[in-house]
Amino acid sequence: MANDPIYLDHAATTPVRDEVFDAMKPFYGPRFGNPSSTHRWGREARAALDEARERVGRCLGARPDEICFTSGGTEADNLAILGAWRALKAKGRKAVLTTPIEHKAVLGAVHQAAHEGAEERFVTMTAQGTAEIASFDQLLDDDVAVCSMMWVNNEIGTIQPVPELAAKAKAHGALFHTDAVQAFGKIPIDAQEQQFDFLTISGHKFGAPKGIGALFIRRGVHLEPLMHGGSQDRGRRPGTENVAAAVGLARAAELTVAECDAHCARLAQLRDRLEAGILAKVPDAVIHGRGAPRAPHVTNISVPGTDSESLLMALDLRGIAASGGSACQSGSIEPSHVLSALGVRPDLASAAVRMSLGSLTTDSAIDRVIEIFPALVAKARQLAATE
Amino acid sequence: MARERVLVAMSGGVDSSVAAAMLVEQGYDVVGATMKLFCHGEDVPDRPCCSLDSVNDARRVCEQLGIPHYVLNLETRFGHDVVDNFVEEYARGRTPIPCVRCNTFTKFRDFLKKADAIDARWIATGHYARVVEGELYRGIDQNKDQTYFLWGIDRSVLSRMILPVGVLDKAQTRARAHAMGLEVIAEKPESQEICFVPDGDYARILEQRLPSDAPALAPGPIVTSKGAVIGEHNGFARYTIGQRRGVPGGFATPMYVIAIRPEQRAVVIGTREELLGNGLIAREVNWLVERPRVGQRVSVRVRHRAPLAPAEIVRMDGDEMEIALDEPVSAITPGQSVVLYDAERVIGGGFIESARQKRTSLPVLAA
Repeated sequence: MANDPIYLDHAATTPVRDEVFDAMKPFYGPRFGNPSSTHRWGREARAALDEARERVGRCLGARPDEICFTSGGTEADNLAILGAWRALKAKGRKAVLTTPIEHKAVLGAVHQAAHEGAEERFVTMTAQGTAEIASFDQLLDDDVAVCSMMWVNNEIGTIQPVPELAAKAKAHGALFHTDAVQAFGKIPIDAQEQQFDFLTISGHKFGAPKGIGALFIRRGVHLEPLMHGGSQDRGRRPGTENVAAAVGLARAAELTVAECDAHCARLAQLRDRLEAGILAKVPDAVIHGRGAPRAPHVTNISVPGTDSESLLMALDLRGIAASGGSACQSGSIEPSHVLSALGVRPDLASAAVRMSLGSLTTDSAIDRVIEIFPALVAKARQLAATE
Repeated sequence: MARERVLVAMSGGVDSSVAAAMLVEQGYDVVGATMKLFCHGEDVPDRPCCSLDSVNDARRVCEQLGIPHYVLNLETRFGHDVVDNFVEEYARGRTPIPCVRCNTFTKFRDFLKKADAIDARWIATGHYARVVEGELYRGIDQNKDQTYFLWGIDRSVLSRMILPVGVLDKAQTRARAHAMGLEVIAEKPESQEICFVPDGDYARILEQRLPSDAPALAPGPIVTSKGAVIGEHNGFARYTIGQRRGVPGGFATPMYVIAIRPEQRAVVIGTREELLGNGLIAREVNWLVERPRVGQRVSVRVRHRAPLAPAEIVRMDGDEMEIALDEPVSAITPGQSVVLYDAERVIGGGFIESARQKRTSLPVLAA
């Protein structure tokens, strides 16, 4: 339909897929058991949970015992970074190495580690949004407890060379975590080939519900749990497991991996057309990270002389859902720490609009955005000029 | 015909919520927005950051009304135009009135630009005031009237303003809120304080923002109008004209702060009679009608909720004017506003620069 709203915020969240919803339903009905119970209800739930763990593991090239279900990406990031730091600080490793463009879940966990005595080290970024390898090499020494390097950036889509960085960390005896929340389903992940120790995924970014995620924890790697209680998940994550959501995560992960190549090719083609269409009408638009390897689903555009707050409001009122930097708790838009770290001028950073594509993105939606976005930009610039 | 769009400034309170609801009923294409103006961060532990509760209330009301809601971050400009000025005024020994500057610069200038950005023909707020044919009138509820805070807006903005609750009294507004099912906010208490002073303790804001050796917060003499030093105060910024708290006792009659002399760090006290002024000089004068002439008879208000006082414009000089009062008025305070009325209609206003003790106009008709 010509006036259907257009959802271009798949990096924020995605709808739960029908197949996933169907897979979860029995666990909100007859199969309601507690997986720790020994009776038949418990056994049924336990079987489903174990199977989900196996299936998620297969999607990552991991063994079932290497999968720890969490409440989502934030918990998994915290568990990896703080859990590893707390386990290693007694062994004389005092530093935590990361980038300034991480998700707030990673930055917050790193700050907490610093509060507990860690030395924070931030890798220098190129203007295009990738880590300076020389800077990484320089900061990585035998003091580092844990490195956390996001695989695909959530705001600009740039890809970090995680396999290469993970191998370097390993050589220095440091643990390596990657936030793969935006990478899963976009980049081939294989824990057998790649040397990361921890990897975070979040269900609601690929068709599972909110409130479920997983942390890959390489076999033999010890971390301190964040919570204390029962013996669920080997004590790494106590609390009765969310069986339905774990089953949903497994189903969504399998579908996502199976569709990865076709989906990525489709999104890359749509994204390229969107960017070309906007640049044709707004030649001075800046597309952040365009010179770096990028995942196919994110484009982040700043038009000089506009501000993202007004533009996002105007887009929404025309039925187009996009996003700005990162929303604060109140919902107001704050300047992006990612763009600041790339050295983007403040006026351009405050004009940034992120559009992220996914299953709901159609050809005709892209056509309409190519029509509407430049028109709104022209209007905003005209207003700015008359001030 | 396309419905006209209106951007409503929504604080999460009952007045602006009812304003939005009334506009929906009247058939406008209503868009709600809450301005984020300041952030206490972790300074105030019991209050969530960024007026979060207010934002959430406004969002819920909009959801119920079926209209979009946005949060607009005007923190930088508000900090500059309103909060910095608030601190500077106290540092100069004056008593600022931040709501006037917020209306002038934030709501009816910066917010208006957001309306332009979404092609909104109108902007609306929950103020108790009325706009009739491009002129500003007092709200029907004389106790709630907020025109005292609105004199500074650009006159051209009036043709784009809708103030829906100006025709209601507060009880009617609350009744409307209930009738429209806005139970979330219908009985919310009145906010009396300055929004960015969380607990009414404005001196704390000054302490945070002024250097520790600022004269405004340093001890100084308490003197009488005759110059006798009768005590010490701990910073003239903690005093305002007409104040009795913190003034030494032991006099035959109650004593009040009658003046602040920042150059001597002095707080001057005097009797109730010494607090009276016969006129005033105002600056940054702004007119909401055609510029009046010298000699025009007006009613003035020199403080929020103060009674209206008959007066005359006796001098106009650029953006400065002098007003002569028919009868003396108490506690005319530099930094506060003087607002001029012709019956219910707002003519304009200015910031009070100084009070005049002696009548300066000729008593033309007195003879």
